[in-house]
Amino acid sequence: MQPIFRYSQLDTPIHRLHPLVKLAYVILTLVLVMYPIRTSDMPVLLVWLSLSAVLWALGRIELRRFATLLKILLGTFTFLILIQGFTYRFGHTPLIVFGHLRLWEADLGVLTKEGVWFGIVLSVRVLVATSSLPLFVMTTSASAIMTAMGKLRVPHVATFMFVSALSFTTLLFEMWGSIVEAQKLRAFDIDRMNFIKRAVKAYVPIITPLILLLFRKANDFQIAMETKGFGAPIEPTEIEMLTSRPADYLWLAFIVSVFVLCTILKYA
Amino acid sequence: MSSEAIIALENVTFTYEGDVVALRDLNLTVRRGDFVVVLGANGAGKSTLCYLISGIVPHIYGGRRGGVVSVAGLDPWDEPLYVTAQHSGVLMQDPEVQLFMPTLKAELAFGPANLGVPRDEILRRSRAALALVRLEELEERNPRDLSGGQKQRAALASVLTMQPQLLILDEPTSQLDPLGRQEIGEAIEQLKRAGDLAIVMTTHETEEILPLADQVLVLERGETVLQGSPEEVFSQADRLGEVGVKTPALIRIQHDLLWPGKGKANHPTRTKVNLTTSEVAGQIQASVASGRLSIIRPEVPLSPPPVPPEAPLILEVHNLTIEYPGPPLVKALKDVSLQIRQGEFVGIIGQNGSGKSTLVKCFVGLVQPRTGDILFRGQSIHKLSVGEMARRVGLVLQNPDYQLFTASCRDEIRFGLRNVGASLEESERLSEEALRLVGLEAEADLFPFRLSFGDRRKLAVAATIALSPEVLILDEPTTAQDHRGRYQLAELSKQFHGDRQGTVLMITHDVDLIARYAHRLIVLHEGRVLLDGPTGEVFSQVEELKKSFVVPPVAMQLARELAHLGVPAQVLTLEDFYQVCVPKQVTRKAG
Repeated sequence: MQPIFRYSQLDTPIHRLHPLVKLAYVILTLVLVMYPIRTSDMPVLLVWLSLSAVLWALGRIELRRFATLLKILLGTFTFLILIQGFTYRFGHTPLIVFGHLRLWEADLGVLTKEGVWFGIVLSVRVLVATSSLPLFVMTTSASAIMTAMGKLRVPHVATFMFVSALSFTTLLFEMWGSIVEAQKLRAFDIDRMNFIKRAVKAYVPIITPLILLLFRKANDFQIAMETKGFGAPIEPTEIEMLTSRPADYLWLAFIVSVFVLCTILKYA
Repeated sequence: MSSEAIIALENVTFTYEGDVVALRDLNLTVRRGDFVVVLGANGAGKSTLCYLISGIVPHIYGGRRGGVVSVAGLDPWDEPLYVTAQHSGVLMQDPEVQLFMPTLKAELAFGPANLGVPRDEILRRSRAALALVRLEELEERNPRDLSGGQKQRAALASVLTMQPQLLILDEPTSQLDPLGRQEIGEAIEQLKRAGDLAIVMTTHETEEILPLADQVLVLERGETVLQGSPEEVFSQADRLGEVGVKTPALIRIQHDLLWPGKGKANHPTRTKVNLTTSEVAGQIQASVASGRLSIIRPEVPLSPPPVPPEAPLILEVHNLTIEYPGPPLVKALKDVSLQIRQGEFVGIIGQNGSGKSTLVKCFVGLVQPRTGDILFRGQSIHKLSVGEMARRVGLVLQNPDYQLFTASCRDEIRFGLRNVGASLEESERLSEEALRLVGLEAEADLFPFRLSFGDRRKLAVAATIALSPEVLILDEPTTAQDHRGRYQLAELSKQFHGDRQGTVLMITHDVDLIARYAHRLIVLHEGRVLLDGPTGEVFSQVEELKKSFVVPPVAMQLARELAHLGVPAQVLTLEDFYQVCVPKQVTRKAG
């Protein structure tokens, strides 16, 4: 079992792109989704989502990874659409009426068209927000991330913690898979349990060995790092040489332009 | 060669927090160019010694120390770990936790970069280290995508770029297959020949490494029981056996047959550690010619009789193909068909990645085939629930720690029984029986993680056997296990096979062990069945076995060399060999 957003070693324009340009894309994405949201913001979000789709496609990231992202978010989307559908205070066009239960300005018994639409807009905002970081992680090697962070004066320890957490994720997924298998062999099949049963008792036989193993692996990990001088009060040598190419400036200009366009669309 | 002492330990005692004494009164001097092999059963203190000289103790694991420790002129106790790390490099058992960077190139640069070594120098060291471990072509690869042997070589290279004076290898081959062991062995041999480093290596694999050793240290419960040249130490074969250290088969044969009687005592002047099969065969031939040894026809057949073809089929796979989605896509099994009969004891061997674990996971329904059928007593296993499956086929995975989670060993066994719907009384009875079977009845109320690794493995076997499966599968029960522990698990399987008339499948890289227990052997190679048949017949296909880097057991190689003297070809184990090749005195007595 591999983590779905693991770095894929390919030679694509997005992989070659300077990490700081990709980081700029991530930051602008986060700024965009921080804008106050309105039901009319769908075109703005779709423009930025199109940019993300272009980057995903050029980075040759498999569709199944995007499908996994959607699968993970599906519960959130359903929750947002239903909650907004029933509670959106400007909702006035009923789609389904279950009864009437007024709470301040909302009627909780009525699913409204405006509420559902607002829920969809919020869901797209979540999708926009969550699609940028996986793209960055899947197309940028950990050493390039470290060098880029170094350029931004982020402390080496903090960067390394982020990078090693990415590496540890792989191990975590593998351990999770192995523990689920080991318990299946004793007739304990978490995959076939319903949601309530899982929540009530199923995770103990999975989480307990996982935590115990994680402690042990973290210890081994610490040994491996510290016996290689990690933590020395010395300025670490930068191995990866990041050079900016004309294409990086063009991409940066393009991403900033799309961001400006989105801002204009929103506030015009 | 300089006589500079890299390690000097004087009367060293170490006690972990919680008053567990791990080392007692240890003395050791290691000079530049020396290669010291440290032997001992699990828990003997080998890893603690590595931690002590590398500074991991006390900086990561705390405890109390007595005596004097000097490594490259420094006391690791007084220096921060990054200072000690500039003098001593550590390679651990598990390569997975030593590789954390995205490319091999970055992995190799990690250590020296932390110490601020100039970039060009780091790149130079990296190139040299990669050349030594023969991974030059893979420097841009993610270390996690490498094979087991390659990962361990990569981890070794990442230690070498630190340019240590002392290289500490803590059971570096214990998790590797024969090819991986060979690859690491070659790299270590090169380092030893270069003579620039002092090397300390702990291991259970005595055969491969002894010829390189200058000094051998044998520990038992933290104390030195034997110390000296390999010849001096291995002249005490019986003492080594008592402390759970395996004596290489050829040395054992010399002691038992060529120097009988006196064989129990010392032969340091005659003991040689780099023996070849032909050399020992020559010595035996000379002894037969001089009348000191006789070749006799064994009174009982050497190999156990094969399971009759009329025994019912218990497991079958037909045209099994398994693929793991990539990238890269991995075809783990390719059109595999085979049948297992009730009552068989089957060994499964092959390189890592040959499909062994995938095959046995198919038998219990953990892996679903893309194409092909898996049948248990003629019924497709897909129709069986996990509970029904667990009561039919039990699989003990390599690492017991993936399953242990309860507060006591007893509860650990009862967990599975509860899942299959056993009553409270039945659950109590079966758990006590299982604990007794594996010899853990005294530890029934103990927290499983307080057991040694070997005992945790036994507990995992008990938890499986308690479910009363008809088939017991052990996936590499010998990995990271000492000599004694390996045979304890094999004996448990034998009991299950004999007393319960169960069927056993065992995956292992230990050919001596499998030759002793299995009467049928399946060799997997690149996802296909390379060989399948009675153990002796399979081991006789030497050329085919080479594809999987499998070498037949030593006793069998010797028997083939002595075939012209009448040694039968079905000799597989040392015990078999001792039945046909006996000292004259014994034959006279028997007569």
